[in-house]
Amino acid sequence: MAIPGEGRSRVFDEVLLSVENISLSFGGVRALSDISFDIRKGEIRAIIGPNGAGKSSMLNCINGFYHPQQGAITYKGVRRARMRPHEAAAQGIARTFQNIALFKGMSTLDNIMTGRNLRMKSGLFWQALRIGPAAREEIEHRRVVERIIDFLEIQHIRKAPVGQLPYGLQKRVELGRALAAEPELLLLDEPMAGMNLEEKQDMCRFVLDVNDEFGTTICLIEHDMGVVMDISDRVVVLDYGRKIGDGVPDTVKNDKAVIEAYLGVSH
Amino acid sequence: MFYREAGQYKASYGADQAIFPIAQDRFVVLAGMAVAFLVVPFLASEYTYRAVLIPTVILTLAAIGLNVLMGYCGQVSLGSGAFMGVGAYAAFNLAIRLPFLNPLVCILLSGFVAAAIGIAFGIPSLRIKGFYLACATLAAQFFGDWAFLRIKWVTNHTPSGSVNAPPIQMFGYDLSSPTATYLIALTITIVLGLAAKNIVRGHIGRQWMAIRDMDIAAEIIGVRPLFAKLSAFAVSSFLIGVAGAMWAFLYLGSWEPAAFSIDRSFQLMFMVIIGGLGSILGSALGAIFIVLLPIFLNQALPPLGALIGWKISTATVSHFESMIFGALIVFFLVVEPHGLARLWSVAKEKLRLWPFPH
Amino acid sequence: MGFFIEVLIGGLLAGVLYSLVALGFVLIFKASGVFNFAQGAMVLAAALALVRALEVMQVQWHWPFGLALPAAFAFAAAVMALIAWAAERLVLRKLVNQEGIILFMATIGVTFFIEGLAQTVFGADVYPLNIGLPKEPIFLLESLFEGGVLVNELDIWAAVIAGLLVAGLAVFFQRTRIGRALRAVADDHAAAQSVGIALNQIWFIVWLVAGLVALAAGAVWGSKLGVQFSLTLLALKALPVLILGGFTSVPGAIVGGLIIGAGEKLAEVFLGPSMGGGIEIWFAYVVALLFLLVRPQGLFGERIIERV
Repeated sequence: MAIPGEGRSRVFDEVLLSVENISLSFGGVRALSDISFDIRKGEIRAIIGPNGAGKSSMLNCINGFYHPQQGAITYKGVRRARMRPHEAAAQGIARTFQNIALFKGMSTLDNIMTGRNLRMKSGLFWQALRIGPAAREEIEHRRVVERIIDFLEIQHIRKAPVGQLPYGLQKRVELGRALAAEPELLLLDEPMAGMNLEEKQDMCRFVLDVNDEFGTTICLIEHDMGVVMDISDRVVVLDYGRKIGDGVPDTVKNDKAVIEAYLGVSH
Repeated sequence: MFYREAGQYKASYGADQAIFPIAQDRFVVLAGMAVAFLVVPFLASEYTYRAVLIPTVILTLAAIGLNVLMGYCGQVSLGSGAFMGVGAYAAFNLAIRLPFLNPLVCILLSGFVAAAIGIAFGIPSLRIKGFYLACATLAAQFFGDWAFLRIKWVTNHTPSGSVNAPPIQMFGYDLSSPTATYLIALTITIVLGLAAKNIVRGHIGRQWMAIRDMDIAAEIIGVRPLFAKLSAFAVSSFLIGVAGAMWAFLYLGSWEPAAFSIDRSFQLMFMVIIGGLGSILGSALGAIFIVLLPIFLNQALPPLGALIGWKISTATVSHFESMIFGALIVFFLVVEPHGLARLWSVAKEKLRLWPFPH
Repeated sequence: MGFFIEVLIGGLLAGVLYSLVALGFVLIFKASGVFNFAQGAMVLAAALALVRALEVMQVQWHWPFGLALPAAFAFAAAVMALIAWAAERLVLRKLVNQEGIILFMATIGVTFFIEGLAQTVFGADVYPLNIGLPKEPIFLLESLFEGGVLVNELDIWAAVIAGLLVAGLAVFFQRTRIGRALRAVADDHAAAQSVGIALNQIWFIVWLVAGLVALAAGAVWGSKLGVQFSLTLLALKALPVLILGGFTSVPGAIVGGLIIGAGEKLAEVFLGPSMGGGIEIWFAYVVALLFLLVRPQGLFGERIIERV
C-alpha cells in the first residue's frame, strides 16, 4: 500500500499507449498543442492541470471521440488510424465521464450489463426466443456482473433505476459499467469530483483495487492533488493545451512551471 | 395482501431473469390469455369483433413495433403508417404472385419486406437525431403514400387503386369468420409481442436503451450505433409490417392507400405515448384506449349534447376526438411520460403493501 | 424557355408561402428550442378566425369592408394571443428542462387540440377569403418571350408581405430589447433567467409573434386556396424547408422555401410525368433528406460540437 504523499514508486517498462505530438483545435480555438506522453502497462497515470487545460479533450482523443488534426496515437504497438469510439472500446479502452453519463432509464444491473455488450454475441433470433445460446449467455454474463456488483458494494441498489441514486453511488455504478467491459486501459475523468471525504476514500480504494487485482492500466484526471500524489505512479501536467510537466509525483510536485501554473506567478 | 412477492425466493439468475418473475404476474397473464382465447369467443358478437376486438389486437402489435423504435431506441418515427402499408402491399403481392403460399404465410413474410425497407429508411438516423429524424421519417410516409398510389405494379395494375385480400383458409378450412380471424390475430400478436418482450430485455434491447438514454456514452462503451439503430428499425418495421398485413387481410379485406396515411402514423404514436414509452404492456393498453375512446365518444356525445340542446354531428364528434387526443398527449407528457403502463406499475406497488401501507 | 421560367417563377412564389410558414417555426425554435409542430394548426386557426369574423361582421352586422377587415384581423390576432398564452401556461411551463423530443411530441398534441378546437368553434367547411388582395393573372416579360410569363398577382403580393415580415423580424431580433432577450433565452435559458429575463413572458411573446406570422401566412394562403383543413397539410411542407435552411436561421427559412418551392414545381413538371406524376408530395422531403446526410445542420445552421 502506498505511503501518503510519497507516490507509489513502482517501475513499469512496457508502453501500452503513446501519444505523439497531438494537436487538436475547434474552429480557431486550440484545445491541445503538440502533446506527447505515454501510458505504460499496469500503471496508474494521472493527468492534471487547471480548468480548461485540455485534460478531457485528451481523453476524448484517446478513446476516439475527437480526432486530432496532427500527431498520432499508438496503442499496443499499432499506430491507429481515425477510429470511432466503439472501435476503441472493442480494443479494450473503457472510460467514465466527468458529468455522469449513465443510462438514466435503466436499472443499475442493466447499466452494468450493457457494459458487457461487446462480449454478448447471440443474434436477434435467439434473443427473441430467449432459449439456447441467448439464455445461457444472459446467465453467464449476469454472473460476471454480480461479481462486479459485489466488488463495488452496490448489491442493495441492483434493481434501482440509476436516475434516482445519489451522486456518489452513480459514480460507482459508472465505474462498474466500465469495469464490466474488462478493459485493458481504463480512463477515469474526475472520478472523485464532487464527493465528500468518505466517498473519495472509497473511490480511491476501488481504483487501487482494480489496478492491483485485475492489473488494469488506469489513466485518470483528478483535481484533488492529495489523491493524485497518493495513488498515481506518474503524472502528466497540462496547461492551456500544452504539456508543462511529466514524471513521478515527487518530481512534478516540485517543478517550477507546475507550481506557477497552479499558484499563478507575478510578472 | 394478495399481490406480494415475499417468500418467493430466487435460487438462480435464470429464475431472477424470467419474463414474469413474480408468481401473481404469471397467474394474471395466464388467466388473461385463457379469457382471451377461451371465454371471449363465446361472448363476443360480430359487432364487438369488428369494431373492438380485431382492431385492438392488430393495432397492439403495430404499437409494440413503434414502441420498439420510439420507446426503447429513442428514434421518433412519423412514418409508421407507411410501414403498415408496406406490410399490407407486400403481403398482397406475395399472395398474388406466389398463389401457392397460404395467406397467413404471406402475412408473416411481409414483415421481412417491411424490415428491409425499414432498414433503408433507418439509415438517415445514423447522421441525424431528434426532430430532424422525425421530419426525415415523414419522407418515408409521403413516399409511401405516393408509391401505393402511383407505382402500378404495387397494386397489380388495379385501375381503381383498391385491392382485395385473398380469402383466409388453412388445410381447406375456411377461417374468415370473425371468431377465427380474431383468434389468428390474437395468436400472432401474442407470439410476436412476447418475442419483442424477450428482445427488449436481452442485450440487444439494452443496446437500444443505451442509445436512447445517452447515445455518445453508449458508443464509447462499445455499442455500435449502426447495428443498434438499424436493428431497432428492422425489428420495429417487421412488427409494424406484420400488423399492417393483418390489418389489410384480416380486418379490412379490401383497401385503398388512404388506409395507411399519416393519420395512421399519428394514431400509433398516440397509442405509444398514452400507453407508455418503453413498455410492451403499455402498447396494448394504449391500443385499447385509442380504439375504445372514439366508440365511446360517438355513443356518449350526441345524447350529452342533446341535454343542453346542442345537436352534435359526426364531424363535431371527430373534432372533439381530436381535441381530447391532443389534450391527453400533452397531459401524459406533462404528468406521466411513461403513460398508462406506469400507472399500472404504481398500482402494483400500492397493491404490494395493501392493506398495510407501512 | 418561357415555359421553364414560368414554372420556375410559379415555384418560387409558392416557395415564398412555404417560407412564411417556416418562419413561424424558426422563431419559436430560436427562442425556446421547441420544434413547434403546431405551427400548421396555428395557420389554420388564424385563417379560420379571420374568415369567420370577417363573414359575421360583413354579413350579419353589415359593417363596411374597410372597417370589418382590420376588426377581423384584430380578432384573429386576439385568438392567436390566447393560443400563445395557453401554450405557454399549460404546456411549455410544465415541460421546462424536458428533452427537445418530448416537447416536440407535446406540440403534436397541441396540434390536434388546436385543430379540433378551431374546427369546433369556427366550422369545418371551405371558406373563400377575400382580404382585398388582387387575384388577377398578369403577364410579365412579354418583351422577352413570346406570350410572356403568366403570374398570379396574389403571389406577388405574398412575396411582398413575406419580404416585409422578414425585414421586420430581423429588426425586431437585432435592434429591440425584447429581441436581445429572445436571443439570450435561446442560447441558455437558465443563464438568461439568472440575469433577470422573465422566461415565461419571453415565451409568450415569441409564441405570439409566431402566431401573428401564422396569421399572415393564413391570410395569404387562405386568399389563394380558400380557408380549409388542408392548410395544415401545406404546413408540413415547411418542414423540409427548415431542414434545408437550418432550424435557427431566418434567412435560411426564406432561401430554403424558395429552393423547395422552385425545386418541387420543376421536378413535378419535368420529372413527374416519367414517374407517374404526383411526385410533388415527397420530392421536397427526399431533397431535404439527401441534404441532411451531407450537411446535418442545414444551409445556414450552426455546427454543433458535441462534448462529453
